[in-house]
Amino acid sequence: MSLSDNNHPPFKPREYFVLTDAGKPVFTSRREDGDSDTLSCTMGLVQALLSVFIDDGDKLRSINSGELRITFLLRSPLYYVCASTWGEPESVTRTHLEYLHLQILSIVTAAQLRRIFERRTNFDLRRLLNGAEPFLFSLLSRLELDLAMSTSSLHCLQLDPNLRSRVADALVPITKMKDTLYIILIAGGRVVTLVRPRKHSIHPADIHVLVNTAHAPSIYNSPASASWIPVCLPKYDPATFVNAYISFLWKPEDNGIETSSNAESRGSSSSSRREDGRHPPNLSSDAAICLMCIGGGGEFETVRSWCDSVAQKLQSQGTLKVITDAMESGKTHYSVSQLAIPGLRHFVYKSRPDVQITFPTFEDPYDSRDEVRRIITMYQTVYDALHAKSGQSGPLKLQCIRTNKEIVMGWITQPFELYIVLSPRLPKTAVINAANAVTRWVKKEERNLLLRDAPVF
Amino acid sequence: MTDAASGAVDRSVQVKLVLLGEAAVGKSSLVLRFVNNEFQPNKEPTIGAAFLTQKCRLEDRVLRYEIWDTAGQERFHSLAPMYYRNAQAAVVVYDVTKASSLEKAKSWVKELQRQANPNIVIALAGNKIDLVQSSSSPSTAAPASDSEDEADDATATPGETPGSAGEPESLRQVPREEAQAYATEAGLLFFETSAKTGQGIIEVFTEIAKKIPIEHILASTRGAGRNGAQVSRPGASRQEGNVNLEENQTKGRDGCNC
Repeated sequence: MSLSDNNHPPFKPREYFVLTDAGKPVFTSRREDGDSDTLSCTMGLVQALLSVFIDDGDKLRSINSGELRITFLLRSPLYYVCASTWGEPESVTRTHLEYLHLQILSIVTAAQLRRIFERRTNFDLRRLLNGAEPFLFSLLSRLELDLAMSTSSLHCLQLDPNLRSRVADALVPITKMKDTLYIILIAGGRVVTLVRPRKHSIHPADIHVLVNTAHAPSIYNSPASASWIPVCLPKYDPATFVNAYISFLWKPEDNGIETSSNAESRGSSSSSRREDGRHPPNLSSDAAICLMCIGGGGEFETVRSWCDSVAQKLQSQGTLKVITDAMESGKTHYSVSQLAIPGLRHFVYKSRPDVQITFPTFEDPYDSRDEVRRIITMYQTVYDALHAKSGQSGPLKLQCIRTNKEIVMGWITQPFELYIVLSPRLPKTAVINAANAVTRWVKKEERNLLLRDAPVF
Repeated sequence: MTDAASGAVDRSVQVKLVLLGEAAVGKSSLVLRFVNNEFQPNKEPTIGAAFLTQKCRLEDRVLRYEIWDTAGQERFHSLAPMYYRNAQAAVVVYDVTKASSLEKAKSWVKELQRQANPNIVIALAGNKIDLVQSSSSPSTAAPASDSEDEADDATATPGETPGSAGEPESLRQVPREEAQAYATEAGLLFFETSAKTGQGIIEVFTEIAKKIPIEHILASTRGAGRNGAQVSRPGASRQEGNVNLEENQTKGRDGCNC
């Protein structure tokens, strides 16, 4: 496999296209491409290709040509296309396209899309998405490195459980707030805690869409004290909008300057604040603390004054300060060396009942952007194989890949999934021992690492 | 609706103000100039609505403006009633270099006069006049148009094409007299503004402050512990960008705010 090559080719930016089934362009990740003729040609070609297969009652899933794979996703009335040379499994780019679709639905809702295109099949959707492109760009840069998104789970902020429950207590809404769905505190781009109604939980994909939305430049950079936006949570209800009240309680001071060295190793690339450049460096927007209140009611004055009082409470209790101190002193991250397991370089642990993951920072030898990309692609390869995501004959319980550079092993059991990266020289027994040792360590630390027992109302 | 809780925070009179207008005319820039006395070139478009506050002193009174800066994109249009339904003031903004933006402004004014609080004070603001003023420094006009333009509408500001730096007046598409005449006829306050230079911005808010029936607000604030005035939605068939507001739609106007 190409990933095992000693010299992996540089990771060329993936390209994404969205078009309507009438062949009208909706979105392209090529920012600098002012040449709309080329774009129309590409869209026309894609539309022609897809319709040939559709006419035969078939579906075109992907095209492989040398290093290049083009993945297609049909979500009528929209077509999604991704071109990548990274050598990742097909399911990875397909997941990206699914997320693009979800983000678009968060802006226009599935019901609205259907209605519009029933009336006018050649509708130009760009008119409706006008101003929403930054959400899609920041989503794409997130998707590249976000392990929580690629494992459809949640990556919560590592925090003392008592502090976490103090935050949660402050977030329980008053009864006056009708139709409240979720109240979420996010710090460093990760969920601190989430308060929800007893009757339903929240799908991780909806959280990722929300986090991406809140941290996109249009919201994050706004000088306003709060934003109130209509958003559709496609996994909750693809047909309706809910209101999201978004308020940043704290923003890092070095606005626009790259954050400290562990920004990259957090594994979640932050939103593309800058207009230029497809893959901006990690920016500070993801280091902020953000309060979100999602609900179906239109009583924003009630929500606003309540959120103000929550902010004041967190401030006066000193809770906010403790969180920012923890983030700034690196206590919200951990190093793999803390586990003291010989040969262990990195791991991703997913608690299946909690639908949450935890992983250490990316450190040497995985401290460059391309090495992180490479190792994430390795994780995705193993994940894909274990879950038989790309048409394999069946799921696996365990898979081990040995390259010149490392051993990557994936292991699924009832309560957890574990993916570990180890030194390539390690014998098999040591690999197994390391995996067991990681699970024991996570078990011991899980109260800090995972979000448990968040209040419901 | 002034919530009892927030009303008790300070003694100032709270005035709810909403900004409306086509995308990329400079609504957010106008507010940012008023609130922070800043100007950000290439601002990202507003999504939904942004909430800001600013105090404004008028003689012996302090007004606290609670400002909803709304997004100009069409898909957010149906949300507007949520913001203006209890507003005591509205600033409807257009771009002096874009004739169609005045048409949009007129339709907002019409909607406000039909649906909003009957006492609402409406100001019409023709923004971006820095683009149409001859300036001593020759090269300001064309680049300025770039910076003033919010990047939220690819088709906005047709006059943006550089090259006309020599004769900035040619960028103007809405004559001052025309807009003034319309404003007078419709009973609006009228200003030409530049969020970029700050010209005319404070005037918008102080003139509104003078016209606001403060005693009225104080009286209605005391009474409005409940739900405030509700406005039925314009045209039930308009579904796009619809937030689930069923609850609000079904209630009639109870008029306690006016």
